[in-house]
Amino acid sequence: MRIASRGLLVLAAVLAAGYPWMVPNYYLVYAGALTVMYAAMATSWNILGGFTGYVSIGHSAFFGLGAYGTGLMVTRWDLPWTAALPASALLVTAFAVLVGIAAVRVRGASFVIVSIALVSMTNLVVQGWRSLTGGSTGLQVPSPFPGLHRGQGHIVFFYLFLALLALALLSWWFIGRSRFGAGLRAIREDEDKAESLGVPTAALKVAAFALSALFVALAGGLYALWFGSLDPIFVFSILTSSYMVLMSLLGGVRHLFGPLLGALIIAPAGEYFLIALGETQIHLTATGVLLVLVVLFMPEGIIARLAGRRAGAPSIPEESAGQRLQGVAR
Amino acid sequence: MTSLRTEGLTKAFGGVLAVDGATVEIRDGGINGLIGPNGSGKTTFFNLITGMIRPDSGRVSYRGRDITRHSPHRVAQAGIGRTFQLCRIFPRLSVLENMLVAVRRTRLRELLAGLHDRGEVERARHWLRRMGIDHLERAEARDLSYGQQKLLELAAVLMAEPELVLLDEPAGGVNPALIDRLVTLVRDLNAEGHTFLVVEHNMDMVMGMCDHVIVFDRGAPIAEGPPSIVRSDPRVLEAYLGV
Repeated sequence: MRIASRGLLVLAAVLAAGYPWMVPNYYLVYAGALTVMYAAMATSWNILGGFTGYVSIGHSAFFGLGAYGTGLMVTRWDLPWTAALPASALLVTAFAVLVGIAAVRVRGASFVIVSIALVSMTNLVVQGWRSLTGGSTGLQVPSPFPGLHRGQGHIVFFYLFLALLALALLSWWFIGRSRFGAGLRAIREDEDKAESLGVPTAALKVAAFALSALFVALAGGLYALWFGSLDPIFVFSILTSSYMVLMSLLGGVRHLFGPLLGALIIAPAGEYFLIALGETQIHLTATGVLLVLVVLFMPEGIIARLAGRRAGAPSIPEESAGQRLQGVAR
Repeated sequence: MTSLRTEGLTKAFGGVLAVDGATVEIRDGGINGLIGPNGSGKTTFFNLITGMIRPDSGRVSYRGRDITRHSPHRVAQAGIGRTFQLCRIFPRLSVLENMLVAVRRTRLRELLAGLHDRGEVERARHWLRRMGIDHLERAEARDLSYGQQKLLELAAVLMAEPELVLLDEPAGGVNPALIDRLVTLVRDLNAEGHTFLVVEHNMDMVMGMCDHVIVFDRGAPIAEGPPSIVRSDPRVLEAYLGV
């Protein structure tokens, strides 16, 4: 079983690496790169959402800040993109630490609302600060690979996003098997109880929040270099965060590959609807409906559904109250 | 040696004084009972000690160190473990994971180390065996019966190696056979060096198990001493019977 799943992993990695050479046209390479970008962001979102249960709809703020940070450093300071991308991502992470210290003090619905406010605020600031960002007229970022034509650019960015996805998956896996991850899962289950067992919950939550912002900011930076044109309304969009949430929930937040699986379904579906229906708002409605359906019927996601609700645990038959008490007394 | 000491600890919720200038001293090594009528402030007192809520005034010190207003995880790391009135475990973690979450220190290296460290797992299995639930180590905690969950909660608290263990109604909602087992466990653990402070309504259990009993009424201690003396104290009878 272990060998089989490891083989499957290698096969998936090979298929992913070969994807740009297997598809007939550059449009499909573009769609693939977009899908991998979303997969990386959803996996990154899941470092916070999956482990701690804190649902952030504010992660597009980090996407937007990463994009604008990289774009501004390249255009205004003439930094090479290889420096601008990590520098802006680190700045966004530092910003996320500050935001996190304030934001993770509230739980549940309050946290969701605070995270929404974060997107709205960053959006307004970037739109309003015309002298720096260009405001709603947008920011043009020169291509980092001027020698390549558009299609070849898609191939390069496909691999860059793939590397980011690998990095995000590796981080999630590493956290998942560490004491840090166990602390985060304990927070999801019962935060006060975790505190009483000596888990420094506030520090762990801020760390998870910042780490999950880091990869989203990197995705934003790559996006800026890839698309070459930034519009605050689009990059600071609640919709981008909602996609991260939806993909993670659909695939399964408790599994390493859950968000990736969700992205593989949702991102191509979104592109398909865009082509089939044109630039209408129907894909928004479809996204909303899908989110409702997932929450209602598959709250644990596809992977949990496929694996059986409690795989791995010995089956404990339903007992009557009396039997339970006897079991205790034994 | 003084284990835990509170001085003039006070907490009001709105106009209600839940804990009212409580000065209590717990010595190292005993099994201490904390009793009192409903609403006399026992659980609030627990929450004030462990940092779950902050006192309006007064001080808490543990082994000579001031821990007033420390956050709960720092109180836990100082060596005070606690259980909750309504048993609290991590329902969707496995029994073993429930055990491994407890931490006495937070160093970055330890945080990034693997959860299933061999030594830690061995220690966890040791406590699970003592509670008699080691055969369930891979089950999800929510699949355990209520009594088993209570044992798991206590086992997880002991994983953090506390010198002082606060038990909030350990006998609540469990059957008599398990109560006997809990009493034996507490006695054994006490003999091994753990100090206990137990809030309990089951008088037989308190009087039979504790060597020192503190009686709370209206947010402050009104009497304390060995069970035999406390039992016949007129102030205690008045508090309980309202005569």
